[in-house]
Amino acid sequence: MVLRDKITGDAGLQYVVEATGVISAAGRRALLDTPLMTKSEDIEEELERVARVKEKMEVISNLRTFNEIRHSLMCLHDSQGTLANLERRTVIDELELYEMKNLAYATMEVTRHGKSLGLEKEFELPEVSDVFELLDPDHTGLPNFYIYDTYHEELPELRKKMKALQARGDDPAAQEEYGRCFDRHSEIQHEVENRLSEQLWGRAERLKLAMATLCHIDILIAKAELASDWGLTKPTMVTEGATRYEELFNPRLKHRNEEQRLRYQPVTIDVREGLCLVTGANMAGKTVLLKTLATAQALAQFAYFVPAKKAEVRVMEDIVLCIGDEQNEMNGLSSFASEIINISETVKRSEKERLLILIDEPARTTNPVEGKAIVQSLGDILSRRESFSIITTHYSELGTDCRRLRIAGFREDMANVPISPRNINQFMDYSVVEDSSETVPHEALRIATLLGCDGNLLELAEEHIKETL
Amino acid sequence: MPFMEKIRGCRSLSIVGLEKNTGKTVSLNYVLGRLAEMGISTAVTSIGVDGEQTDSVYATAKPEVRLYEGMRFITSERHYRMRRLVSEIEWIDKRRTALGRLVTARVLSGGMALLSGAAATGILREQIEEQKRDGVELTVVDGALSRLSLASPTVTDAMILATGAAVSPNLQQLVSKTRFVVRMIGLDEVTEKERETLSGVGNGLWALDGEGVAHDLGVRSVFMLSGANNDLYRYGTRLFASGAVSDRLLKMLAAKEEVKETTLIVRDFTKLFITPEVYADYTKRGGELKVLQRSRLIALTLNPTSPHGYAVDSEKACGALEEALGMPVYDVRRENCMKRP
Repeated sequence: MVLRDKITGDAGLQYVVEATGVISAAGRRALLDTPLMTKSEDIEEELERVARVKEKMEVISNLRTFNEIRHSLMCLHDSQGTLANLERRTVIDELELYEMKNLAYATMEVTRHGKSLGLEKEFELPEVSDVFELLDPDHTGLPNFYIYDTYHEELPELRKKMKALQARGDDPAAQEEYGRCFDRHSEIQHEVENRLSEQLWGRAERLKLAMATLCHIDILIAKAELASDWGLTKPTMVTEGATRYEELFNPRLKHRNEEQRLRYQPVTIDVREGLCLVTGANMAGKTVLLKTLATAQALAQFAYFVPAKKAEVRVMEDIVLCIGDEQNEMNGLSSFASEIINISETVKRSEKERLLILIDEPARTTNPVEGKAIVQSLGDILSRRESFSIITTHYSELGTDCRRLRIAGFREDMANVPISPRNINQFMDYSVVEDSSETVPHEALRIATLLGCDGNLLELAEEHIKETL
Repeated sequence: MPFMEKIRGCRSLSIVGLEKNTGKTVSLNYVLGRLAEMGISTAVTSIGVDGEQTDSVYATAKPEVRLYEGMRFITSERHYRMRRLVSEIEWIDKRRTALGRLVTARVLSGGMALLSGAAATGILREQIEEQKRDGVELTVVDGALSRLSLASPTVTDAMILATGAAVSPNLQQLVSKTRFVVRMIGLDEVTEKERETLSGVGNGLWALDGEGVAHDLGVRSVFMLSGANNDLYRYGTRLFASGAVSDRLLKMLAAKEEVKETTLIVRDFTKLFITPEVYADYTKRGGELKVLQRSRLIALTLNPTSPHGYAVDSEKACGALEEALGMPVYDVRRENCMKRP
């Protein structure tokens, strides 16, 4: 599972990835090809690199050097094709030779800047000055390239002659002679290209490593910058116990709220092995909580800093987020069918893998009698698994023996102005509290009233509730 | 040609042909030769690699351009490999064209090369800016086929227009077709204040009221206008079309009672897709057409022969055009014509 696949099912993760300012096209591709890391040592190591870069980036006197590095990365060509040609031991032409010189140049530049920042270890690039020297026989020190006179003994004389012939304008004899010279010139060019290619074949692996490392550096800088800009935190990866977040936030929502000058409330939560049922009124942010947990877990395992004040993250083998809006008319499945297929696959996977399983109101689109039974049995199974599962639900008295959390929900006492559908979110308390009761909050009608729901409809609903009691 | 002096001080120059085979490349070669003599640091690029030119059969059919030592040029990878000169690669752009990436190189020893560029004027505008930043005095843009869009004053500072027998073998028609385009290029500009107001407005049709304030007429595109639209004049008779204008709008305005007082404003002449007849009818009824920004036409060049074997008498054609347009016309193939005062 690579990042590219993960972002299609996680809009929050996609938001973060899109904001990651990777500069080079090759770096961007490398980022999307990053696998979900499942070894805590690997993640820690990579996070430590990001942390080191971030630390250096936050020193004002280093800004210039970082800009120089960014410039080098911006000039980096996506030389995959050329590198493959070298590996295959084919002859590369002057445009490709230019690319290789450019790559060597960028490598040397970034190495130099990395050293001056004290990031030699993080920016560990292979030595390629021999490649640059080979492609810079005149010691210009520039990344420009052509078949230099120095490469062939005949070239200086031949080019001098060609110049003189050109000066004679449209004189047919001169043109003809120029044609002959140019043919010879092309032959020599091919000879030189052959020779240089052969000399580069043996260095292909090093050049490839340089390219991959530059991409990696590009990603490290982008992650560090994002962490700095968004106030993300380096998570501690733990191998036992729970995942804990202090003041976890959803970047997309937080930014939207900031834009609209609205309050944003981060949450503190821990996620443990086995099952946890989350209840809460409508609009209390249950779905957002699940989405945020999924995004944060994925970010940590793709070696990103996470959106929280403090985070301890237990490494999982995968993350399953089932929000229940996967209805797909195109493959002929109803929302219930898509959901139940997803859930069943997840249950099966959880036998062998330790997963973070986040399911939002399962079986809500079918009748409550069977729906509740499905949730009960799902709960029974997941509570015995190693996976960390969270299920949100509106069903009461499920009887499952598991941990229960409740989102505090609507606080009328917080409302100092008339409540409307536009501002109701401002009077929600999104904090998560441990809950011992078996029943779920009955606030649907109250919320509906506050949202200005039709009075007649509400009255009838109240009557129906009285009838059932 | 004396027009060369006018080029001094321009940062960008487009060379566009009224039709294919109007001698655009001959004009370009002439201009480049003179620029080299004048010692102006020059970059050469082009726009568009249209269908037939991308074809491997025709790729070489496009005439080559002569480039001189020290000039910078931008062309596609494929055409770069086909060049017949010595040059140093300075940069390979990430943007792709049908013929590969765009290569920027400096000529070390002069010779011939094929030019091909990006198809979008937006990229061209960026290229011109990049050259300016790099200290290049003048960027010359070779126009592909009969595209006029790059001559927009928002893209290049000045233009050279190439016309010739390929436009029409009939001298009268050649003159009248050329005259019409030259007239459009020379349309009057609006006042500075009006330009300021209108340059920033969004799409669709707008009106300027008596105070000079722009009002959106709620017509998203002039192509969506219907005859029933009678309230175009609710803010006054100065109208501004933000996008392209076709015969349809002019005809509609010509049919209105208020046509006598109407001034239709367009961004620049490249937004006009109108025929001489409809324009003539509109102006005869009192309508006026203006532009926000006028293009600077530096010279008009003539190719007296057409690829189909037609030819017009060069001297007669130059004379007739000069009389009709009131500006000198140069036959770029004829030495004597080039020396005209």
